[in-house]
Amino acid sequence: MSSSTSMLTATQKYAAGALFAMALNQAQIHQTLPLGFPSTADDGDPSEERLSSSSSDSVSENPQLWVHESSGLLLPIFKFLEIDSRAWGGLEETAAMSPAKHHVGAFLRILVEESGDMSLEATDKETALINGVDTLSSSMEKSPAEYDSRKEKQREYEHACREKFPTPDTIPELKSVEENITDTSQQENTGNTSIAEQDRRKSLSESDGKPMEEATMLSYPRKVTVLYELLSACLANIPDDNKKSTKRRKGYDARHRVALRLLATWFDIKWIKMEAIETMVACSAMALLKEEESKEEGRSPKSSWDKWKRGGIIGAAAVTGGTLMAITGGLAAPAIAAGFSALAPTLGTIIPVIGAHGLAAVASAAGSAAGSVAVAASFGAAGAGLTGTKVARRIGDVDEFEFKTIGENHNQGRLAVEISISGFVFEEEDFVRPWEGQHDNLERYAVQWESKNLIAVSTAIQDWLTSKIAVEMMKRGAMMTVLHTLMTALAWPTALLSLTDFIDSQWTIAIDRSDKAGKLLAEVLLKGLQGHRPVTLVGFSLGARVIFRCLQILAESEASAGLVERVVLLGAPIAIENMNWEATRKVVAGRYVNAYSTNDWMLGIVFRANLLTKGLAGIQPVDVPGIENVDVTEIIEGHSSYLWGTQQILEQLELDTYYPVYNRKVVKS
Amino acid sequence: MESLSGAPPEFDYLFKLLMIGDSGVGKSSLLLSFTSDAFEELSPTIGVDFKVKHVTVGGKKLKLAIWDTAGQERFRTLTSSYYRGAQGVIMGLVVSAFYDVTRRDTFTNLSDIWAKEIDLYSTNQDCIKMLVGNKVDKESERVVSKKEGIDFAREYGCLFIECSAKTRVNVEQCFEELVLKILETPSLLAEGSAGVKKNIFRQKPPESDASTSSCC
Repeated sequence: MSSSTSMLTATQKYAAGALFAMALNQAQIHQTLPLGFPSTADDGDPSEERLSSSSSDSVSENPQLWVHESSGLLLPIFKFLEIDSRAWGGLEETAAMSPAKHHVGAFLRILVEESGDMSLEATDKETALINGVDTLSSSMEKSPAEYDSRKEKQREYEHACREKFPTPDTIPELKSVEENITDTSQQENTGNTSIAEQDRRKSLSESDGKPMEEATMLSYPRKVTVLYELLSACLANIPDDNKKSTKRRKGYDARHRVALRLLATWFDIKWIKMEAIETMVACSAMALLKEEESKEEGRSPKSSWDKWKRGGIIGAAAVTGGTLMAITGGLAAPAIAAGFSALAPTLGTIIPVIGAHGLAAVASAAGSAAGSVAVAASFGAAGAGLTGTKVARRIGDVDEFEFKTIGENHNQGRLAVEISISGFVFEEEDFVRPWEGQHDNLERYAVQWESKNLIAVSTAIQDWLTSKIAVEMMKRGAMMTVLHTLMTALAWPTALLSLTDFIDSQWTIAIDRSDKAGKLLAEVLLKGLQGHRPVTLVGFSLGARVIFRCLQILAESEASAGLVERVVLLGAPIAIENMNWEATRKVVAGRYVNAYSTNDWMLGIVFRANLLTKGLAGIQPVDVPGIENVDVTEIIEGHSSYLWGTQQILEQLELDTYYPVYNRKVVKS
Repeated sequence: MESLSGAPPEFDYLFKLLMIGDSGVGKSSLLLSFTSDAFEELSPTIGVDFKVKHVTVGGKKLKLAIWDTAGQERFRTLTSSYYRGAQGVIMGLVVSAFYDVTRRDTFTNLSDIWAKEIDLYSTNQDCIKMLVGNKVDKESERVVSKKEGIDFAREYGCLFIECSAKTRVNVEQCFEELVLKILETPSLLAEGSAGVKKNIFRQKPPESDASTSSCC
């Protein structure tokens, strides 16, 4: 790729590389020292600088840094951007220098100042790119009608659940009132400010995570172009002649995605635009891969591709919709990683052109039946990878572990995956339904695992809850104090002790299975069955435990830091002490949320075997730097509420914003 | 992590030095000459370069982190943040300003641009400034007299030395003199002490307990 084919000048690429490097380093700092952390609010700038002031050591002496060459995260990007290798050292060091914001501002200004002189060709490409991104992102946004219908579905599910499994801790008469409130509030909710948004506003005034002042001087097309080129660099698999960085893995590293997310925030670019760019690159990549293949086969389809490739690419793009379909449709299940490595040299040249008209066409075509076939193949890697994982169950002592697809984003060229895991289920559909109402642009999967054991333990718990003695206790309002008792003195009411024997044995099995399932999940991820794409893990109850166990395993294995992008644990039956939460934090590149309900006494009771003196993540905050603790007590009235409350919680968490939420309560609205 | 980087610091002080000045005056050449004992005709620096050099001066082991900025106009905006970057982070901010004795305008730019920049962006009151006249090997092409250099240095309160990156005349002395001056300045010395050095990934943020104080 010669510099003439890029839309950016050498200096702009230098600045883009620098900005990316700084975002990468900041993202790592934010793992344990997140934005908007209380301290920075109090003493403002100086403290922030002091804390994040990187060591006096230079980067080269600190191999733990993401910007260190051994991580293999930065140098390939510089190489792709054709930044002179003499400048790499300075950039690495600059990235690690704090506070970042002054440097960010300076490098942004370079992008601005260089904007004046662009070749006509580059301008054309840029316009084409922007059009593609805008069209695609608007097609990716969910319409309000769609949103409402999902809401409606979710409410139906909630009602069904409530009918089947009354939560005895709400008195029936009150419940109907409460539901009314919930209903009206949900309608209002669409216009509500989420807590993430509130936090964002708060942190705007106090941290370097805000959009940079200089970013307003930078044109929108230029920002998109920079993000686009950086993403291309992240995905391209450039042969690495540097022996030191052997860790370079295939595909899309979660840490890269987090850095891009921060960069988009500095640029004040909506994340959905970035998602559109991702999709665009993905689809184009597949098209190119197919091109390579047909070349190798030496068949005649070449001619149409020649047309495509010549100066007349734009003209050919008019038929892109059809062509792209023909090309990708025949593809079985190509590995994404392989695709990207094949196109490293041409990536920059062809994509914006396809983006102009082609992707818009593909995007709209994808809605139709034919369309879904068209793009189907593009990310078949994951389709075959995750849903075909039944094989994996032979590995462990797990009877059942299976990925189910949810949402409409499959085979749409999404570059990020979400895996959702239920852990408190009464029937098979409870593995899937709690997650169905979500609307994000991830390729989503739910895990169905150990349904026999999970249903058994959930039912046992529910039966006990509705048993006479429990109801009796509830009526006396004892349960609310029970939890408190459990946590403080361990003075067990005898009624509880005698009654929970059966639950205990079920629960012990379930805990054991969830730990094994966690190991299995870790193996799946390490194998790259998710298509080497960043993964967001969300789970409640024992599902959260599966995720946590998975993170523990990842933390023990080599080079696993770039797999998981975000994690949300809800009502997690995990002790706080001696569980090495810090280690699990390191394998999560982005946000790591622990949602807890202080009156989830049921979780407290069943968990007691594991000693509440060590703490319990599902009912109290986890005091580990970088873990976002969110109080969801208002939504979760009993452990089974997670079945239908999870979606609302996730909405309020706004996982797509970079900003963390701290010590906030999720309220009904 | 402790085991990897927790070894006792192999130096007594760490100083951060910044190199500024017009394009082509030989900043990078001087740095290369100092750190690698080599001389090459270098192409213009891109953005900013960074080098580390360990030296022993006045019986103290020193680690010098030297930032070499591009003199080219298009990178000019970058430089400002590197003065600033030193604030509170780096222990002794020292600036060596260059002019090229073969090019008159690099001398005039000193007062027009660089001296002003230092005043504007430097966050360290006591930082030591040093004026270095490079390329004395081309004595015949001299356009700025030694006296002019001395006068300028006197007016702006900086050190002054003439050297040649090519012949390595005065290269060592240039950095040594600068460092000696820093060592004589208590405020800079305190900041550069190895004990102050810290690593964000090693230390736990002291206010981490704040996250427990949730409302419930």
